[in-house]
Amino acid sequence: MSFIEVDQLSFRYHPTGAPVLQNLTLSIEKGSYTAILGHNGSGKSTLAKLLCGILTPSEGKITVDGMDTSDESVSLRLRKTCGMIFQNPDNQLVAGMVEEDVAFAPENLGLPREEIRRRVDEALETVGMTAYARHSTAKLSGGQKQRVAVAGVLAMLPDCILFDEATAMLDPTGRRDIMAAMKKLNREKNITVVTITHYMAEAIEADRVLVLDHGKLLMDGSPRDIFSHVAELQKASLSVPQVTELLYLLGKDGYAFPKGILHAMEAADALEAVLPKRALPADAKAPEPSGAPETDAALELRDVTVVYGEKTPFRTEALSRVSVRFPRGEVIGVIGHTGSGKSTLATLLNGLRKPTEGTVLLGGVDLWKEPKQMRKIRSRVGLVFQYPEYQLFEETVRADIAFGPRNMALPAEEIDRRVRDAASFCGLSAEELEKSPFELSGGQKRRAAIAGVIAMEPEVLVLDEPAAGLDPKGREEIFGGLMEYRERRGATLLLISHSMEEVARYADRILVLKNGRVYLYGTVGEVFGQAEKLFDASLDLPQITKLFLELKKRSLCAETDVYTVPYAKKRIGRLLECSKT
Amino acid sequence: MFKDMTLGQYFPGNSFLHRADPRVKLVALVVYLVFVLLAKTACALGIVLVTMLTLAAVSRIPFSVLARSLKPVVFILLFTGVLNLFLTTGETPLVEWKFIHIYPEGVRTAVYMMLRLVCLVGGSSLLLSYTTSPLDLTDAIESLFGFLKKLHVPIHEFAMMMTIALRFIPTLTEETDKIISAQKARGADFESGGLVRKAKAIVPILIPLFVSAFRRADELAEAMECRCYHGGEGRTKLKVMRSRPSDYVFLLAMALLCAGVVLANRFLSFEVGVFTL
Repeated sequence: MSFIEVDQLSFRYHPTGAPVLQNLTLSIEKGSYTAILGHNGSGKSTLAKLLCGILTPSEGKITVDGMDTSDESVSLRLRKTCGMIFQNPDNQLVAGMVEEDVAFAPENLGLPREEIRRRVDEALETVGMTAYARHSTAKLSGGQKQRVAVAGVLAMLPDCILFDEATAMLDPTGRRDIMAAMKKLNREKNITVVTITHYMAEAIEADRVLVLDHGKLLMDGSPRDIFSHVAELQKASLSVPQVTELLYLLGKDGYAFPKGILHAMEAADALEAVLPKRALPADAKAPEPSGAPETDAALELRDVTVVYGEKTPFRTEALSRVSVRFPRGEVIGVIGHTGSGKSTLATLLNGLRKPTEGTVLLGGVDLWKEPKQMRKIRSRVGLVFQYPEYQLFEETVRADIAFGPRNMALPAEEIDRRVRDAASFCGLSAEELEKSPFELSGGQKRRAAIAGVIAMEPEVLVLDEPAAGLDPKGREEIFGGLMEYRERRGATLLLISHSMEEVARYADRILVLKNGRVYLYGTVGEVFGQAEKLFDASLDLPQITKLFLELKKRSLCAETDVYTVPYAKKRIGRLLECSKT
Repeated sequence: MFKDMTLGQYFPGNSFLHRADPRVKLVALVVYLVFVLLAKTACALGIVLVTMLTLAAVSRIPFSVLARSLKPVVFILLFTGVLNLFLTTGETPLVEWKFIHIYPEGVRTAVYMMLRLVCLVGGSSLLLSYTTSPLDLTDAIESLFGFLKKLHVPIHEFAMMMTIALRFIPTLTEETDKIISAQKARGADFESGGLVRKAKAIVPILIPLFVSAFRRADELAEAMECRCYHGGEGRTKLKVMRSRPSDYVFLLAMALLCAGVVLANRFLSFEVGVFTL
């Protein structure tokens, strides 16, 4: 018998409601590393809760290490065997100090003090948080908090750990750390790892991938296996790595490539087999990023410095002497590490924060000229924070979207029109407008919250990770709406993001911040042309660009200014054509 | 920034007072409060004052930080002083002007009262809030009042609630900050208008905050359950509070001081001019 056995499982939250999971049968072996993929609402988180016994099956049966999860009498032993890490790092730490939090589970198990001490020290060592043992949990970064949570589960000495979208709310560094921890636990400690995610990069690391679609098991196999079925994955609103998609598209045009290629290097190998070597022109030096043209700027920062905690021991400069211009009508991607000053920049632009030094100009006029008029400025520069759905509060979605326009004291008909327009940009139906915002799904909530800012019809829209935590389809919907808004209203968009692929796809210009300073600023081509510098700032390139850099190294293709899959396909397609004739 | 705010007034350090068993400190505080309130004569108050200054020196907390703890009570201090000065009556007035009569007894009561208040606030800050982290305090309360469990008072649950509350205060302050910014960005106006309008303006902050707090509570409960939490029964602790001999010496010293105050009240009083001290 396998370690986890799921037999004919069905589950519904309400006896009369629609089933979230239907007739699911699967088994997971001891010591394996399994990824469960699925779109938002596919039932994957419900499955995780069922596996660790927080929920019990409506029909069918789940056994973990021989224990029936419905059997109350084994619940403590079950929890000890199968630990779980949740999505939000803030909501799973119990104590205010790191080591006390890690000690929570062994304390509950009533272990002697020396044993608790030993387990806490060992667990912190495993996740590399020993140095923080006596720190306050409140002051850790998201990734560090999540590592503490992992240590807290490890201290129970479980056989299996479930990660329920444990990386969704983390920045790239935090995500990397948690993924490394998963791998280490599986390989070195022989713990069964089940990770639930919609990040492909995480699924690739696993030994086995299960794909859920609308509560049913759609696919089951090795990552290579699964990712060779590009069309089916896209139908289940999941995405594949860029190079996988590229080779799939080329394959559709009749070129044969090995299936299930996931990494840039492998893709370069596959292409090397079919592309002829060519003499490449001498390397022209990549042009320096040129900033922005002197033309009409929607927003401009002049010599802006922002200092936190002036005259205290905590004094930090969040931004130092930043001067940038954001040209009207463009989409500007803002990238940089956590703590590079991105969020501070966002709050400067609509006057939520006053620069310590320097000026912010909106359409050439100082934002702080008349501080009393600040509310007018806030309707001209819309700001969408991270996870904006947490600010919804009205009884209906319609009323919530109308909150902004109402604050602008517009006439009733005008408010009505704006709500309708904003809803249509964000793909909300008339029926959804009358619902309570708390009844909507995650993706819909996000769109409703963004509509609330768009309804003010701002000329500049600043968005902090608008698609964070959404599945590929949800991301697509959000960006589709935003791009349409920009098109129709000629608005300027500032897009703060951690995803290079996202920025490459939507932005005209990229601003890279590092330690509160402008590190690079120029067109997408200019910035991504500075691969070395980006790596230095521990930032990355889109995977597809990395592939083209590798192709150039192997004298196969001269161009490296390729950032999106459709363009890459065109380029490679043309080269393949040439080699045929 | 809300983030840099330290919880309560805890001032980290490594002095004798910081290291003392929080349970002992809690008991010592009760003894201290008793003798502060008992002190009635100059000598008795002198003992109290010296005790407080000694505690301050031992704690190695800068004077400026200590003075801050008195800031919130300055008004009460002055109010009590003035009230006692004018309203206490005696036999021969010191000053007589129109309806104002000040008696020597009034001056004495006013000064004593203010001194007592300063010692009350200063001493309890030193014994508890400045030198004991909120977490230690919670543990001390759970341990000291553990006997109440036999009377079915859910003391473990109270302690757990306090631990969680302390853990979530920074999280929720940060969240409040974020929600305020987000609603301001949607043009919300928290400054202008009358009281009713201002009260109404808080709704867009409160509702998201409550929704989020409930969601957090829900998730936390699940996470706790996953980590085998099943109430206080059979629970052990990583950190065991231990009192050292020096803690008992400290407690004994406090008790002796208390006795000293009682004796000073009784036997050490003298007269200087019109004042009975």
